Amino acid sequence: MSKSSAAANGHALWQKMPKANAELFALTYGTLVTELVRDYETTEEINEQLEKMGYSIGVRCVDEFLAKADQAGMTIPSCRAFGETAEVLAKTGFRMFLGISVEVQMISDSSFSLLIYENPLSLFVELPADPKWKDLHYSNLYCGILRGSLEQVNLKVECTFVKDVLRGDDVNEIRVELKEVLQDGAGEEYQEE
Amino acid sequence: MASSSSNNGSSGANQLLLFVIVGKNEPLYEAEFHKTGTAGASDSVTRQNYFVLHSALDLVEKAAWTTNNMYLKVVDKVNQQQVSTYLTAGNIKFMLLHGGRSEDSIKNFFSDVYELYVKLSMNPFYRYDTPIASKSFDTRVRAVARRYLS
Repeated sequence: MSKSSAAANGHALWQKMPKANAELFALTYGTLVTELVRDYETTEEINEQLEKMGYSIGVRCVDEFLAKADQAGMTIPSCRAFGETAEVLAKTGFRMFLGISVEVQMISDSSFSLLIYENPLSLFVELPADPKWKDLHYSNLYCGILRGSLEQVNLKVECTFVKDVLRGDDVNEIRVELKEVLQDGAGEEYQEE
Repeated sequence: MASSSSNNGSSGANQLLLFVIVGKNEPLYEAEFHKTGTAGASDSVTRQNYFVLHSALDLVEKAAWTTNNMYLKVVDKVNQQQVSTYLTAGNIKFMLLHGGRSEDSIKNFFSDVYELYVKLSMNPFYRYDTPIASKSFDTRVRAVARRYLS
């Protein structure tokens, strides 16, 4: 799928999605993270919980993505290379759900980085100065969403935050690595006899 | 008042500004602004200033009943100094001890600090009515003070 058509699709789908107030969205996510901070002791546990929540969301996102695209009359062909997956995720997926544009940087055939410049989740957020917060990936939900949605299309990936604006870097960078391409998970019962 | 401060009292009054944000139980933020060129105030003058602000708190409560505005103007005058106050919607008091500045510049200062305060309180990690430790808030408040009050 060419880059420009992915971006155009993303833009068209974004127009059709129901919108929510950005501040409400950011504040709700903020209270979610502070609740997790109160419940768990270490930043690893908090990151893990955020990733798990993201996973459940991602599993549902991909269905909605394909359904809405179908409704809008656009075809999203199966990706022939991991790079195409990256482009579709960044330009169409993120655009459709969050209205932001995300850049792709290919690292190798089986891994790429997503560069997010404006993060709607971290509006108004400033991490406290305490050094133990350095390891908190505030927007780790994204990593879970990516893992969940790609698993539904049989791509097992691992996502981690490499750079984070809240910790002083100039851009948010998520590294996505392909671990394996799964066999169709329908199970033996459904296979044709 | 203490005679040691008489030297600094009248000449320092115009240049020393003390800005305190007071919550329900305790001060949440303090900042002293000096005009460039003057030395920092001596210890006794500083403590006297805090005392003046503290004693003005009762007058703030009284003034709050009289008006619907958030900006309460000058609530107390002592020696050469005046205390102006701004009351936020959540009953947090911004108090400024100054030696006579125009109403307009103080009002603008308070509005800008209020905006900074609202943005700070949207940070999910900041709990309402707790001391403010954010360095960026401090830098920005000082920049606003430099813009309107010197």
